Amino acid sequence: MTDVPKAAPPAAAASLLQLAGVMLKVGATGFGMGMVGVLQQEAVTRRAWLSQQEFADGLALANLLPGPIAVDAAVYVGYRLRGWLGATVCLLALLVPAFVIMLGLTIGYLQYGQVPQLHGVFRGLNAAVVALVLSVAYRIGRSSLKSTSQGVLAAAALGAALLHTNPVTVVLTCGIIGALLLAPHPKVAP
Amino acid sequence: MNLLQLFLVFAKIGAVVFGGGFVMIPFIQREGVQHYGWLTQQQFVDAIALGQITPGPILISATFIGYKVQGITGAVVATLAVFLPSFLMTALAARPLARLRRNPRVAGFIRGVLPAVVAMLLVAAVTIARSALGLDWRLLLLALAALILLVRFKVDAVYVVLGSGMVGFLMAR
Repeated sequence: MTDVPKAAPPAAAASLLQLAGVMLKVGATGFGMGMVGVLQQEAVTRRAWLSQQEFADGLALANLLPGPIAVDAAVYVGYRLRGWLGATVCLLALLVPAFVIMLGLTIGYLQYGQVPQLHGVFRGLNAAVVALVLSVAYRIGRSSLKSTSQGVLAAAALGAALLHTNPVTVVLTCGIIGALLLAPHPKVAP
Repeated sequence: MNLLQLFLVFAKIGAVVFGGGFVMIPFIQREGVQHYGWLTQQQFVDAIALGQITPGPILISATFIGYKVQGITGAVVATLAVFLPSFLMTALAARPLARLRRNPRVAGFIRGVLPAVVAMLLVAAVTIARSALGLDWRLLLLALAALILLVRFKVDAVYVVLGSGMVGFLMAR
């Protein structure tokens, strides 16, 4: 693979088949953010494909980019080990279990979703979703609303969202304002 | 035409879901429910609930919507489209990673985006609470209990989700 960076060679070689196997496992056993833990255990602890530091760098990258953290991290692992092909194999293998199960649930839901016994289950699940969304808002808010200007941005975004502004516009506008006004001052080299 | 539309909508959503899968909620609601009418509000909140009990990323709810629009082909197209932008960005950014992380503009962009994400998650929570829980105080209480378990006691989300589903089942009997 010519496009694997030379600066930090992988600690251990991984075949595409091994990558696929590990990602299938991560995708089948991890839920939401829980996938990150399974991925770390497999790629760092068990197989030493990446060092702890390299994996942490991948997570930092995943935080910068859109998309679920665990999926971005898996793509990063695949790319670091086997370039574009590795990244593609990792993404697809990670998604296969979720896709198959979700497809089955979807077909079942559209067929039997109106069964009264299921109605209660879904209301309970919906309550959990509300709680989960709020807990994610709390987690991100606690780490990101550190200054008055960020508080003002959040309030402005809230107002815009309540006025039914397109969310894409809201997110990108806030990002551009941040890039222009909230950029940290470059650190002076020690 | 439908497939192209589906692809474009989900690729657009995939490009802006900063801060994790739940951020897709306001986007999908606007495009899929309100604009294109691909699914009802009820089906939408249930699709998110199904995404919760499925292992893997929450964004997999895209599969549900794709299937509703165009069967299995639609499911494949929507799923690939929603993950494509972050896949490309991650692979492209993997090498210049160190430089990207030091770039103050990139850091500033994220500092600006995250407050917007918080605001949109709050709106998403209220929207779902209103449409799926209605004014049923028992469900609101269940949501509050789940929130406390998640935030205060750091209980794993899987158990909270399964437990809530069970409580909902018992409450409906």
